[in-house]
Amino acid sequence: MAVGEERAKNRRGIRGWLDPYHYNAERWAYLFQRVTGVAILLYVLGHLGDTSFFVGGPTGTGPSPSAWKFIGSIFENSFGHLILILVVLVVFFHGINGIRLILAEFGLILRKPSAIEYPYKPKGLGQGQRILIYVAIVVAVAAAVWAFLVLFEGMG
Amino acid sequence: MRESRLMLVQYATAVAAVALVSLHLIMQGVIYPYATAISFNNILSVYRNGFYAIFLEALLVVVLVHGFNGVRIILKEFRQSKPWNMWVDAGTVLAIVVTVAYGTRTVILAVFGGTA
Repeated sequence: MAVGEERAKNRRGIRGWLDPYHYNAERWAYLFQRVTGVAILLYVLGHLGDTSFFVGGPTGTGPSPSAWKFIGSIFENSFGHLILILVVLVVFFHGINGIRLILAEFGLILRKPSAIEYPYKPKGLGQGQRILIYVAIVVAVAAAVWAFLVLFEGMG
Repeated sequence: MRESRLMLVQYATAVAAVALVSLHLIMQGVIYPYATAISFNNILSVYRNGFYAIFLEALLVVVLVHGFNGVRIILKEFRQSKPWNMWVDAGTVLAIVVTVAYGTRTVILAVFGGTA
């Protein structure tokens, strides 16, 4: 492969994320960790904005029941609650998958190194890491169900 | 700061965020029913409890440092050059300072401000 082609292949940027060719569980986990991270940051920025209405918004000077009631009238509805459920879903996935990445970074759940053998297929992650990816998915879905029950069924 | 140190910051804030966000979610849907948790009087009492005010400030700093440092890491995966690195690093610091300042303003006004 020519140097230019090699460089272009290695600089696919966000297209590289969105091209699922030859993706396995680890690669999907990598993609979702980044997508959920950016989504959570966007939510946090919005949450900074809406919670500031507790003190009257950007120009407020102290706790304001009327400003809080105003912002609640915008976000406290079925659509707002649906967004919160999605946030819970991605936060739990991001958190547990992130713990997996930290454990791997410090070498705690890596499989033993082995000799490279023909036909040189890339080896996937060890069982511990695979299990943690599936745990992240299951716990995230369970947390989203819990959020649904709290927000729509009045539990909690 | 060296990239290796910044990655350690990313891991430390990740672990702290897991603990703090978990407690935050428990407060919003387990300790109190959701409708009570978001009521004006309950939030005011939470802010004016010294422990929870410090907790919310810590949550703010940890999540924003982790979030913006994460975006910085993603942006550096896309492209590497000296000017790009400099602008990404400067933008990250600026974004953290501005958002932490805005969130801290909310906490300070909620704790010390007079009710409108």
